[in-house]
Amino acid sequence: MNIFHLALKNISGNSFRSGVVALCAFLVAAFALTTTLLMRGAENSLRLAIDRLGADIVVVPSGSEAKVESALLMGVPARIWMPQNNVNIIANLSGIEAASPQLYLATLTGASCCSVSDMFMIAFDPATDFTIQPWLKQNLGDDLRLGEVVGGSYISATEGDQNIRIYGYLVTLKANLEPTGTGLDQSMFFTFTTAQDIARKSVTQAEEPLEIPPDSISAVLVKAQPGVDLYDLSAQIVRVVPDVTPILSSDMFQSYRTQMTGLLKTILVIMGITWGLSVVLIGLVFSMAANERRKELGVVRAIGATRQFVFQSLLMEASLLAVLGGVTGIGLAVLFVFLFKKLIVVSLGFPFLLPSPSVLIFQIFIGMLLALFSVNLAALFPAIRISRQDPAVAMRE
Amino acid sequence: MITLENVSKVYPLGKDSAVTAVRELCLQIDLGEFVIIVGRSGSGKTTLLNLSAGLTRPTSGNVIFNGTDLWSLSDKQQSYLRSQNIGFIFQFPSLLPTLTVHENVILPTVFANKVTSDHTPDRAKQLLQQVGLVEKMAAYPRQLSAGQQQRVVIARAMMNHPVVLLADEPTSNLDERTELEIMELFRDLHRSMGITIIMVTHTRQLVSYGTRAVEMAEGRIINGK
Repeated sequence: MNIFHLALKNISGNSFRSGVVALCAFLVAAFALTTTLLMRGAENSLRLAIDRLGADIVVVPSGSEAKVESALLMGVPARIWMPQNNVNIIANLSGIEAASPQLYLATLTGASCCSVSDMFMIAFDPATDFTIQPWLKQNLGDDLRLGEVVGGSYISATEGDQNIRIYGYLVTLKANLEPTGTGLDQSMFFTFTTAQDIARKSVTQAEEPLEIPPDSISAVLVKAQPGVDLYDLSAQIVRVVPDVTPILSSDMFQSYRTQMTGLLKTILVIMGITWGLSVVLIGLVFSMAANERRKELGVVRAIGATRQFVFQSLLMEASLLAVLGGVTGIGLAVLFVFLFKKLIVVSLGFPFLLPSPSVLIFQIFIGMLLALFSVNLAALFPAIRISRQDPAVAMRE
Repeated sequence: MITLENVSKVYPLGKDSAVTAVRELCLQIDLGEFVIIVGRSGSGKTTLLNLSAGLTRPTSGNVIFNGTDLWSLSDKQQSYLRSQNIGFIFQFPSLLPTLTVHENVILPTVFANKVTSDHTPDRAKQLLQQVGLVEKMAAYPRQLSAGQQQRVVIARAMMNHPVVLLADEPTSNLDERTELEIMELFRDLHRSMGITIIMVTHTRQLVSYGTRAVEMAEGRIINGK
């Protein structure tokens, strides 16, 4: 028998008290970990989405910035157009390394000619593209041919093993991109040629044709030469190209980031309140328990336990309960986030990507540390008070 | 073995008031004695017992245990001295409710750093046999009668081979028959093992079990110094 055994016996012998303390530790750990996972996951996801775009600047028609952000972030289709000639004007500016046009398209809503409703689709020009092409070369060793597509991580074949029906046109899913936790995971990528072919055939095969306005594009992705000031370059674009807005990749999803900062502040306040209330509640429970066990602890001191032993045994109980509640809370939080990660992205439109195992382990460690710190902090004062008491006084009613 | 030199104990009651439980008391208890301290409620008997074991600090005077001033020791040294030398039997139910009878009996070995000894379970079993409760080893205190609980407490008090047993009204919550059984047990321990026993009681009839009686009133020894 040792201090650990005694603490375990006390925990199992006082199930209600132990339950309340473990529940508080559970709440603190679960809430802290879920919040950190979601907030870090969102940050991670936004960073990956920007990396996936691979552009320093995205030039879009003026007034469509929010639509583009929603499309890239939540997969909400955007139908925006600007003259195709814009790409040539931008490509000829000084300081530009590459400029590539994109078409933003969408499937029909609830139409039998489209396997997936309202899917955001991006058509790119393989001749100038610097975002999808390098990935294709690296992962497939080949270009996309006519009728072939690359899907985001959540895209899967709906017709046979490899096909998806778009406007009555069967495209072949060649590969899936790695997850970003954003709308890009629910989007599809193909070449301009495939887009034009779908549009042409949709006139006879689809309930409504896919319309691509002639000589139009949706956006221009710009890669600047190394060392070029991106703000100067943006100002240059605005000067020479009418009715467009250049969005710097660092400023991408800015409105969303502002919303997220607000949400983060609210969550932090709620977390602070939950933490404070939990610490107070645990402190009260331990104070009550220490008073209830005054006589018992007095007896233990009389038969040879030192002050230090009493103090350590109370903190050992607190720590064991913190571990019990913390592990359960952390386990359930990780399980919740893992099970519902797709739902979080697809249904809530919240960008989210699970962190790497090493980061996850670090976050779990921090959550556990917080639970241990909170419970021990709350138990500290009652433990000091009761361990310093005269055994004779403690044993007296 | 235990010497109290001009010991007083004052308990503060509030800002301006206090109660003196023991007044300039001198007492010498020698090895092998069975001292019975009698007196009415509030006469200072329990305080005297607590002072003898270092469970409360005297307001003035010295408590000497085997030549050592108890209050010159650190908390760790004092606790070790208690665990090695003194067995306690209290008036109230003092078994830990979350531990079994067997675990309660071996509890003092945890504080005396003897828990790893191979003899510990055998010793506990032997003591429980001695108090007639070996078949209750796995039971919890709530499953025992008051008399049985008190016998387990005696076994616990004997666990570390103490040189002195301090018993604070050990039979006050028991019926007459159980009281006699417990007192016989004390007499056996004293006679067979030569253990020193200091017992506090308000029942004068129990004085005959001891080798010496000390009577207290208002914090002073009035008889049997």
